[in-house]
Amino acid sequence: MSKKNSVFDGLLGDNTVLSSLMVISPIIVCGDTVMNGIALVYAFSVITFLSVLIGSFVPKKLPYAVKIIIYALISSAVFIPTKMAAEEFFPDIIPRIGVYFMLVAVNSLITVRAEAFFYRMKRGRMIISLFFYILGFDVVMLTISLIREILAYSTVCGRVMDADILISGMAMPFGGFIILGVMCGIYRKFLSVFGSDDTRGDGGDENVSDS
Amino acid sequence: MFLIAELVVLLTTNLILSQALGTSTLFIAAGSRKNLLWIAITITVFTTVGSAATYFIELLLPDQYNDFRLLLYTAAVGILYVLLLTVLYFADRAGFGTTRKYVHLSAFNCAVMGTLFSVSDRLSLHPTLNTMGSFMIAGAEAGTGFILAAFILTAAYRRLNSVSVPASFRGFPAMLVYLGIISMAVYALT
Repeated sequence: MSKKNSVFDGLLGDNTVLSSLMVISPIIVCGDTVMNGIALVYAFSVITFLSVLIGSFVPKKLPYAVKIIIYALISSAVFIPTKMAAEEFFPDIIPRIGVYFMLVAVNSLITVRAEAFFYRMKRGRMIISLFFYILGFDVVMLTISLIREILAYSTVCGRVMDADILISGMAMPFGGFIILGVMCGIYRKFLSVFGSDDTRGDGGDENVSDS
Repeated sequence: MFLIAELVVLLTTNLILSQALGTSTLFIAAGSRKNLLWIAITITVFTTVGSAATYFIELLLPDQYNDFRLLLYTAAVGILYVLLLTVLYFADRAGFGTTRKYVHLSAFNCAVMGTLFSVSDRLSLHPTLNTMGSFMIAGAEAGTGFILAAFILTAAYRRLNSVSVPASFRGFPAMLVYLGIISMAVYALT
């Protein structure tokens, strides 16, 4: 691939969710209301940013498996204060998100992409790039949550709208799969029209080291 | 009849079809039958042995330190990760270059971590099922469910990646919609 990577790729050209298919479980299962989406955006953004930043200080010479374990332990430790704060901000939402709140802490961006991508950059560039990768997830999460909440409950942030169509299945995991699949297709079409064709067949998890 | 009932249970409690856990890993696994087999086996090892570890964590961890579960589960999977790599290294040094990739892919992902949390949340509520054996069986079942979901996806993999599918929807988008339809059918069984 001769194309030079841009720090903004995470938002559009190489979107965390729509291109790399990373961190899709919380979107599919919990992304059915905007409030759930906001809680997950908070968890993902804080945990991923702090974990990748702290993980960048881990010595590069360690074996790959050891580094991955350290990154996962760092994010699991960052999760503890993040969850405590979340219980103050979103007391009703956290029990509803359940296990997915914890799973956000061991996402592929931290355990795989960081080592294969972020830690090969200089720290300043890494922080900017990481910011846009996180923003890429946040935008998709909120967009899908909004669409699903309108379609499934005819509400926006819990406020009732006067919608004619109500598709309650959109709140279910299968609704999440279908909406995400359609959004992936639209995203690819958008990229192909505007010149950055995303036709690769790999997910983010494939980028594991040989060492 | 017993087999049909078991199949229905395996489908309805399937972590991928009902909870979307490990979907990204599934897409990688479904790409080739060799990958599928090895990743599924490795994930099953992680979920089975990892579930045994979570049993002891749940047994020893006081309720007020519940937020430390993730850290302890991660440490348990980390130890298992190193052990499995060590075993593979000594068992087959020539093939270690290939097999370690499957371990790397399977260690920290939603399929494994999600299974550990789901199994412990489900079984610790039932005093009769709160045993190490039950935890390991539930972990193995989750791994088997992953294999089943991977085979369901593999069956349609070529068609979903064929030229008859519009370019924008070829591959991942079509697979997501396909899994959504399968998930909808499974939901109807519950």
